[in-house]
Parts: sequence; C-alpha cells; structure tokens
Amino acid sequence: MKLSISKSIATAAAAVLVASIALVSVPAASAAAPTCTTAAGVETCKGTLANGATYEFRMPANFKGTMFFWEHGFKSTYPGVSKVPTGIEEITPASANTGSDITKQMLLAGYGLAAYDGTVKGLRGWNNTFRIEMLKEVIDTAMAKYPKIQKKVVYGSSQAGAIITPFVEKYPTYADSVGIMAGITPSPADALQSACDIFYILSVFADPTIKGCAAFGVKGVPGHMASLGELQKVVALLTAWSKNLGAPGLEFPAALKGSGIPQRSALLLTGLLTGIPTKSAHMDGITTNAVIAEHSINATVAILENLGEALATGTLAAQSASEITGPGFYDNTKTNWASLLDDGDAGRYNLGLSGDEAIAGMLGVLSMAPRVTGDAAAIAKFKALDKSTFASTKPTILISNEADRLVFAGNSSRYVDKKRAVYEAELAKWEASKKGPKPIWNTLALYAMTPETYTKFTAAGLPDLAGPVAASGVGHQSFTTKQMKTWVDMLAVAAKSGKVPTAKYVEYIATKVPYLNGDTDYRPADLKYNFG
Amino acid sequence: MRNRASLSKPSRGLVASVAAVLAGAMAFTAVPAQGASTPGVSDTEIVLGMQLPQTGPASPGYNKVDDAMRAYFDYVNSKGGVHGRSIKLVVKDDAYKAGLTVSTASALINKDKVFAMVGSVGTQTHISVIKDINRRGIPDLFVNSGYSGFYTDPKKYPTTFGGLGTYTVEAKILGKYIKETFSKNTVGIVYQTDDFGRNTVEGLATAGVTFTPKKTAATFIAGTQAGGLDAQMQQLKDNNVDVVIVGAVASAFAAAVSSANKIGYKPTKWIVISVGADATTFQTILGARGIAPAVSAALLAGTISASHAPAPGEADDEFVKAFKKINDDFNKGPDKRWDNNVLQGMNIGYLMTSALLGAGKDLTRPGIISYVKNNAAKLSSAALSPLGYGAKTHEAYTGFWIGQYDATTTLKPVDSPRKVWTTDSAKGPVTELKYTRPAIAADALPKVG
Repeated sequence: MKLSISKSIATAAAAVLVASIALVSVPAASAAAPTCTTAAGVETCKGTLANGATYEFRMPANFKGTMFFWEHGFKSTYPGVSKVPTGIEEITPASANTGSDITKQMLLAGYGLAAYDGTVKGLRGWNNTFRIEMLKEVIDTAMAKYPKIQKKVVYGSSQAGAIITPFVEKYPTYADSVGIMAGITPSPADALQSACDIFYILSVFADPTIKGCAAFGVKGVPGHMASLGELQKVVALLTAWSKNLGAPGLEFPAALKGSGIPQRSALLLTGLLTGIPTKSAHMDGITTNAVIAEHSINATVAILENLGEALATGTLAAQSASEITGPGFYDNTKTNWASLLDDGDAGRYNLGLSGDEAIAGMLGVLSMAPRVTGDAAAIAKFKALDKSTFASTKPTILISNEADRLVFAGNSSRYVDKKRAVYEAELAKWEASKKGPKPIWNTLALYAMTPETYTKFTAAGLPDLAGPVAASGVGHQSFTTKQMKTWVDMLAVAAKSGKVPTAKYVEYIATKVPYLNGDTDYRPADLKYNFG
Repeated sequence: MRNRASLSKPSRGLVASVAAVLAGAMAFTAVPAQGASTPGVSDTEIVLGMQLPQTGPASPGYNKVDDAMRAYFDYVNSKGGVHGRSIKLVVKDDAYKAGLTVSTASALINKDKVFAMVGSVGTQTHISVIKDINRRGIPDLFVNSGYSGFYTDPKKYPTTFGGLGTYTVEAKILGKYIKETFSKNTVGIVYQTDDFGRNTVEGLATAGVTFTPKKTAATFIAGTQAGGLDAQMQQLKDNNVDVVIVGAVASAFAAAVSSANKIGYKPTKWIVISVGADATTFQTILGARGIAPAVSAALLAGTISASHAPAPGEADDEFVKAFKKINDDFNKGPDKRWDNNVLQGMNIGYLMTSALLGAGKDLTRPGIISYVKNNAAKLSSAALSPLGYGAKTHEAYTGFWIGQYDATTTLKPVDSPRKVWTTDSAKGPVTELKYTRPAIAADALPKVG
C-alpha cells in the first residue's frame, strides 16, 4: 500500500512556516514582454502576466496554425501532501504514472504550445475565478505575439474542468476546440460532497474523532493544518487496514461491535456509497486467490488503495474551496445513505459487504447516526462554485480513466449529460422555428480502460501493491502517450472542422490506440450527487 | 517541467507519429458515416449474445445451457433459419465473477455487435450489467435468473424479460404446499442473504410460512458455502427443525446436505427452490467432493422441489422427445447428457426463435421488445405454464408444479394427475392453473400468430 502522504504530513508544519514567509514576500508583478530564444527549431518565449505569474510559449518552425493553451489542475497553496508549485508545472499533458509528457510529439506535429503558472498572488488552491482571466491574458498575449495563429485549442486537466468550462462560456471566441482531461465537472460540489461523505462514514464506522469537512473552512495556514489533521486520522486507518486488510470486526459504532461484520465490509460500503472506483492501480476487481477469496474482496482492496489519494487531494481541494464558502459548507442532514448504494453494487459486492443483513445493519446505523448540519450561506456558496451554463457549442472532447481514483470518471458523463440537456433544448427550439442553423451535438467523452485483469500476488499470496501499475485506465491524469497524443490530435482536427469526431471514427481509432474505448456510448458509474 | 522538446533528433517513432497524425486526420473525415441499421442483424444472420459461467465453481450444470441453446439454433438454421437469417450465438464465460460479466458484456456489445442478449445465467452477475444493457436499449431476453427485481418493474428495466419463474412465485407456491403438508412439523430455512434468498423468504412469508431469526432461520453469505454450512445445520438441528427449506444455489444445497450428514442431522424433508435442486448440478458438485453418483442420488431422493417445465425424465412428453432428439443430433458441447439444464437451454432457444419469428423480417430492437411484451400468449414453449409478460411485468412463467425426486434423480409430481399452481410476485393468491400447452409442431419449430 502506497501511503507516502503520511510522511509528508508529518513534515507539514515546518514546511508551512516556510510557505508563510513566501506568501508575504511575493512582489507585486506587472506584465512584461516575453523573452524568446530559439533552439532546435523551436522558439521558446517566457514572460509574466499582469499579476506576476509566468507563462511560456513554444513555437515550432513547422507551425501549422493551431496553438494549444494548457491549463493545469489543482495544487494546494500550502505544502503537506504534494509540493507547492513554484512555476509552470507542465507545458503539455503529462502522465502522473510515468512522468512522460507529449511536448516533443506535439511540437513535431507542428502545434504551438502555451502554458502558465496558475498562482495568484502567491496562492493556488481553488482560484478558478482568477485563472479564467489569466487564461484570457495568456491567449491575448500569444495572439499578439503570433498573428499566424489560426486556431486555438484550450485544454487542461482535473481542476481545469471547472476553469475551462466557464471560460469558454465567458469568452467564446477564445477557443476553437476544448479539451478536458480527467476534469472535474462544474459544479465541483457534486464531487466534493462525496469526499466529505468519506470522512463522515469513516467517523461512524472507524474513528468517531474524525470531524472531516465539518472541521474545514478556516482560512489560511490554520485551516490548512486543521484539514491535514483530519486527513491524518484517515491515514492512520488506512495504514492499519493496509496491514490487516480490514479483517478484524467492527469496533464502531457500539451497535455493531461484536456483530461479526469485518471492518473491510464498512470500508467497501464507504467506497460504494461515495463512488470510489472498485479497480485501482494494482487491483482489478476480479482476480482471486486463497487470500483474496472473492472478487468483492479484490474490489475492497482496490478501494483501500484508491482511498488515500482520493481523500488527500479531496481534503486539500475541499479546504481550498471552503476558503471561498466559509465553514459549514458540508451538510448531510438530508442524505439518504441507502439511496447512495446502487442495487447492482449491493448484489455484485454482496459477499464483501457481508450479505444483506450486514448491509441493512450498516445502513441502519448510518441513518441513525448524528448528522452534520452545515451553514445555509456556506452551503449555497458551495453549490454555486464555478457555475456553468454548458451552453458552449465549441467542439469539446473529454478524456477520463475508467478508474480515476481522484476525479471519478462519472464527472465526464455528468458533463455530457449537462451539455446534452442544453443541446436538446436548443434542438427543440430549432425544430419549432426552423430558423437559423440547426444545433449540432458537439461533445465527445473518451475513456481509457483498464486491462481486463492485472492483479498480481506476492509469494505470500498477498496482493502485490508495489509492482507495476495497470497498463491503462487507472490513476489520475495518467494516460499513455498514445492516448494523450490521440486526444490532442482529435482536438486539433476539431478546432479546424468545428466538429468532434464521429462515433465511427472513434471506433476506428480505438483499434489503433491500446485501451482507448471505441464505445462512444460507454457510461461509467454516475456521480452520487447532482446539485444542478 | 518534463521531457523538454527538441526537434534536432526526431526518432523513428516520432516520424511515424507525424505520419499517423496525418493519416488520422484524413481518416477523421474519410471514415464514412454509417446509416442507421440494427446491430447484429444482416440479410443473412442474427447475432445473439449470452453470458454464463462456463468455468469456475459456479459452472457445473449451468455450463451446459449454452451448448443446448446453440444446438437448437443450429437445428433452426438447418431448416432455413428465421425469415431467411441464420442465428449465431456468441457466448462469453464470466466464471460467475461480476467484473468479467461487465467486460464480456462490453465485448458482446461493441466487438461482436450482438442484436440481443439471450438466456444469460446468474443473478449476481446479471445485476452488474442489466442497467447498462437497458440504457442502451438492447433486448435482454429470457434471463436465466428467478430474481423478481429484474422483471416486476418494467419501467426500470424495460428491455429485460425473464426466462424462469421468479423465486417469489415459486416460494409462494411451495409455501402453500408446506402449510398444507407439514403443519405438524418444525419448518426451518437456510438461505443466502442476497436477492435470491430475500425473494424466497418474502414468497414464503406471503404464503404464511415464517421463521424465527437465528433459530429456525439460518443464513449464510452467498459465496461462502464452499467452506461448508456446518454452523447453519447445527443451528437448525438444535432448534429441532425437521423440514429444511433451502433458498440458495445448488452448491449451497450440496454443502448443506454434506454438513448435515457430517453432524448426523437427518431432516425428514428437504425442500429446495428449483435452481438449487438441479440434479445434475447437485451430483456434479458432490462428485467433485468424492461422493459417488449412487450416493448423491440417494441423498437427493425424497427432496421436494418445483418446476415450470416437464422433468427431463418425462420421456413421453412431446417437447422432451423433440428436444432430446435435437440434442442428440446437434449438440456439439463437451457434455450433452440430457438433463434439466439441457432442457432449459433448448427451451430458451425455442422461445427465442418464437420471438424472432414473431418480430418479423424487419427486425429491430424496439420491435422485438414490443413483440415479446405484447404477445406472451403467442410465445409457446415447453413449459406447463404461460408466460407472464405484459405492460406491468416481464416475469416469465407464473406457474409451477411440485415434485419429489425419486431414486433415479427424476422429479416426479406429488399430485396425480399433476397440478400446476399459479400466482404473482406480489400478494396475489396461489390458485390452480388451468392451462393447455400448445402442441409442438412435427418439425419442432415454433409457429407464431
């Protein structure tokens, strides 16, 4: 089990002090002309935006007229789980699994590249509103510098879904096609609510001292440290479970102590109620042996493996968002826990959940447990975060991993649903009037799938969680080079044609790109919440 | 920053990549848009898909159903097919692991381009794909699961139709029999705590047969029975249960009988929901534990169960005769021994052929769903009960007769002449069914309309 976040948290306090010093020492910046150099057929230009954030362009000699503008995902303002970025992190998409990006491939294809540092006055976090304007400034600067740009592709990863989506709605002429990789779909509250539910459910079944998102909302370093404190409690649970695979019986709540329900059943239920994928980097949800005696146990270990990253980044993101909403954004007084358990999951994972009686028992105590009551104003702000209309008609291509442990694949299908609702309303209007151009459906969701089976076991029969990860479909922002390159090529063509590829083309290209799903009707598990 | 770019030394891979982009960009527009057509249907062929455990612990017995179905389709093809099209059955082994059910369903839909799913086996496995199959509008016909939740709310699963009577209907009918026959006995139950077991307990309760948890009701989690059911049998023994109902799959029934033997527990009667009492499966599982066929037959003898169809041992039944002949001539499977699984496979093949005939030459997915939903009375089969399909339910057989296994592992009716009972999956009464099964044609092909 990879639980390196624990070590990071241990050093967080010292690092935060350093960050605090850095916060006050960021100078006021002003826009500056880029400095350019040329090497190996590529002009590289670096400059700063009006707020002091840096940007970078790469223009190949064989430029064919299409410029790609990259928007990176979430980073915390403060250290503790991952490094606080100090500049541009990536200029093109990079796989978190392999560390490989596609800069070389994109330049060879004749694409221009742009990226910028999403830091605002020394702060990262949930700074989407600022970044919409920064992205516009980057594009304006590039257009001024390179009049030869004919088409603009705006694309990005993860948090960028909640930046790019409102961006193209506010500035529709700034993108000819839109790419969202492993992106969160506005409203991000849909996904963050499930992250907060993880804390809550674990507080009922495993550690009553966990306050989870109810402890979030204080601004600055104190709030950050409070959120890490909550995370640390969960890390302690995961560490214990990684050793005993959740075999001991439940100790909490009192009503279930001595019931014989193993802790792993509560862990599995936690995952199923919150939508954590039942496949992970090493667990395929299928393969069994003497220790992992049934597929649902394999899936439970997958949830265990996924939970660390899901909650670590979820914690930082939720805390960052809470700096906007204020404390009390999380409320579960109206949550119907039983309704969050899909019928199919209850049947498919019945053994791992210890059968219907145990399921009823666990859902019963959840329904009776004291709820978290939020603050009405904070809840309203939470649900209004990054609101988008989904009215953009620009060709939009999403790509997600089947088992993304952080931004669940259901974000992509939610995005498609929201776009489709707008499209169908527009189509109905057009059908009634027959005036103007007929609306076209212009959104495509691609999915990278896992191999069918890939779980390996150690000589002792335990799941090998230290070996190579699955070849595809797992992790967050972790795609193969071929998958990423295919995606950007589709975006380039879509920028020129104004249309996303046809289903037939996707089916064809999937035969050339391993594990890319050619089924455009594929639908991953839905997100658990929809706040509209 | 990672992998800083350089154009100075383009690798062969990168050159190839550029070429691929160009080719891709061209292909982007060059691949022609396909006109609307029905997947899996050509002028000459209809492709059907099926999922079942062909391997693994859950496979014994059930792994014969697909070969029997294919044998019937091959027979139909030998007679010219349906409206000039031959039927091709593509089967995927899910080993009764739901993750494989999901991936093999995807393969059937996207790679094999099946027109419809037919006769898929298993509750826990099918529940993992039923939502997706329905979302896509794919006909999901004659599922080999008795779980009522698949069929009793057609708005939830509009494309799914049963291939068995529901566990609830069967339990209600058995419940009536138990109330009338074993009123002086202590009746208990061992059941799996999932959809199957829950259906069984609900049906029995509706019939007035109830149990005391932890005393006359013993439970286990489906999938754990391989380790034996000693504790459950001990519990029932300790509570003086002398009639044991089994609401579980055949491997659990076999485990229960083994465990009871082991602890010297000899109930006067075992009463088993039909999918758990299949003789072949029961004997195969016990055979794998080293129990000789004669011994397992003796263990099964006297067991009460139910059936919607004639027993495979009813040699004079016209459907049995016809299907047996087709099985002999066309079944190319590794084990074509005539039994209940083969009969059920043949019957689903016959039913599917009826549906394809009825849906007409202009075959579409909505067309066959509509036909099956609205023409249950025209869909004949070997069953001694009509089909329940309609606007309000997609349950298959609403009637069962009750039988007892004899020493030759043949289920024989407990009434003479045989009585067939009918009810619904809700609170309706159990009444005697007066139904005359349409005769099978001389060519053993269904006639529709």
